[in-house]
Amino acid sequence: MTRILIKLGAFIKRDFLSEVSYRLAFVMQVGGMLLSLLAFFFMTKMMDPNAEGLNGIPPFDWLLIGLAFQFYFSTALYSFSAKIRSEQVLGTLEAMLVSPTPTSIVIFSSAAWDFTWGAFRVVLYLLFATLVFGVKLQLNSPAVLILGVTLTLLSSAGLGILSASFILYFKRGDPINFLLSSATTFFGTVFFPVEQLPEWLRPVSNWLPITWSLRIVRGALLQGQTLTELRGELAALAILTVVLLPFGLIASRFAIRRAKREGSLIQY
Amino acid sequence: MGGPGVAAAPAFGGRLAIEAEGLEKTFTKKRSIREIVKRPFGPAEPIHALRGVDLSMREGEIFALLGPNGAGKTTLLKILSCLVLPDRGHARIAGIDTLEENRVKPLLGLVHSDERSFYWRLSARDNLRFFARLYDVPSRRIETRIEELLRRVDMLDAADRPFADYSSGMKQRIAIARALLHDPPILLMDEPTKSLDPASSLALRSFILDELSRRDGKTILLATHNLREAEALADQLAILVAGRVRQRGTVAEVRRHGIDRPRYRIELNASADPLVGPFRVESDQAADGRRIAVVLLDEGASWEAMVRALLDARLTVQSCDSMELDLEEAFSRIVAAERVGP
Repeated sequence: MTRILIKLGAFIKRDFLSEVSYRLAFVMQVGGMLLSLLAFFFMTKMMDPNAEGLNGIPPFDWLLIGLAFQFYFSTALYSFSAKIRSEQVLGTLEAMLVSPTPTSIVIFSSAAWDFTWGAFRVVLYLLFATLVFGVKLQLNSPAVLILGVTLTLLSSAGLGILSASFILYFKRGDPINFLLSSATTFFGTVFFPVEQLPEWLRPVSNWLPITWSLRIVRGALLQGQTLTELRGELAALAILTVVLLPFGLIASRFAIRRAKREGSLIQY
Repeated sequence: MGGPGVAAAPAFGGRLAIEAEGLEKTFTKKRSIREIVKRPFGPAEPIHALRGVDLSMREGEIFALLGPNGAGKTTLLKILSCLVLPDRGHARIAGIDTLEENRVKPLLGLVHSDERSFYWRLSARDNLRFFARLYDVPSRRIETRIEELLRRVDMLDAADRPFADYSSGMKQRIAIARALLHDPPILLMDEPTKSLDPASSLALRSFILDELSRRDGKTILLATHNLREAEALADQLAILVAGRVRQRGTVAEVRRHGIDRPRYRIELNASADPLVGPFRVESDQAADGRRIAVVLLDEGASWEAMVRALLDARLTVQSCDSMELDLEEAFSRIVAAERVGP
């Protein structure tokens, strides 16, 4: 376990060094976040604070959590496949795979920086929101929040690894990402509550981990809800995690094996 | 390049360092859109990269794998380094099947020909730090190991510059340092001098020979199509053509390939007398008062019989040298023979 963590740290450090070597882009990203929050702040002033599904949460606060976590979720979805593809193109994947580090660890760790940066962005969003826009956080149960974020991380990692498996095998064309990012944006309660959708469409959102993640985070962070109040949401997210993570891992094992047999592991 | 060495390679307990047994690998060629439109359900064209390759290398040997482009050299290296699975046959490193990659990989270092295999915005030192973690170099040893290797490959002064700023020769030296991070007993080198200028190639060759082979006792498998490199470095070589080993042995043995009868270059005093004896004259030229002939001995004839025949004809033999093909000529003959047919 320690060895895995050490390797994870090496990947994070590598990508951090690479990222900060593009200093202007790094600073602009942070500036861009603040600007987008500003735009949403004024946009949500047009919204009805009593709209169905907001559950008494002010529209900007509600959207803020959606935005912060959608970025995190899409990081999980895209970063595995994007990193694998980029390492294939750079020629560095082969160099990593001849090392004694197992292929699965290489794939897992390749997205470690993106997850770290994603978490940092969430924290920055919340910081901006509280300091600049006066959002009031009511965190009564940090454990629930940590559990919810961990389950979000694991379930979305399952989907991300599944998507990386597609890239490993097919090189291009990643239907998983396309379907999920579209579905997340529309059904995932990122931009509007599911109650705003026609009734017959609403059940789709129940199949998406982000729906449950956002309910947990909004509940824990903005409404001060505790484990008792959020146990249903946590259970639903846990079930999706238990299905998605092993499925992603099995798919990646299969894809790596096939790619090695086909000789396509390091091609792009 | 030079400097303090590292620990000598461990012994493999009498086992062969590298062994390939009946290795076969076939890839399928990607079909173009035109082919897919023309024959949507047609089969993809197979590419037979390896067709039953048998090879063995002893510990401490430098073995050159020669072959034209597309001969299967890189496929063989990828199978040995656990990146590709063979369709049939077995590859073993120190007696361990390459399917057991967790046991095999720590024994191997791969030097790529591709200089892209680094992070160009990071320095050599940061690149090596990252790969040291992947190669399980203990944390407390990483900095000293990197320092030691940078010194050995003569890159200490430039180690903190971005990788993108390095010349091809410098990049290749960092590639060697990376392959040595975990001090593996076996090095697989895929055309290590491919993009180097002659001076850098020469320096790298002497580093391979003097430092890695003689000093550290590394076993080195070198895939190359540079015959001069193979000749300068290899104890043993194999010529791979169209996925098959066509010839293997020492450089001298491979040079003699296809020459079933000895050939001699004879220098004589100028005379017009015909050359008669147990041989066939391949060329006979006179210049500057000397006569130089190249003869091929008849089957079963000896060198002594040839000289006796010349002396009996009252010719003055000034010198008589056995002629061998150079490696390039032998290589061309072997490749040409493959093109005619097995």
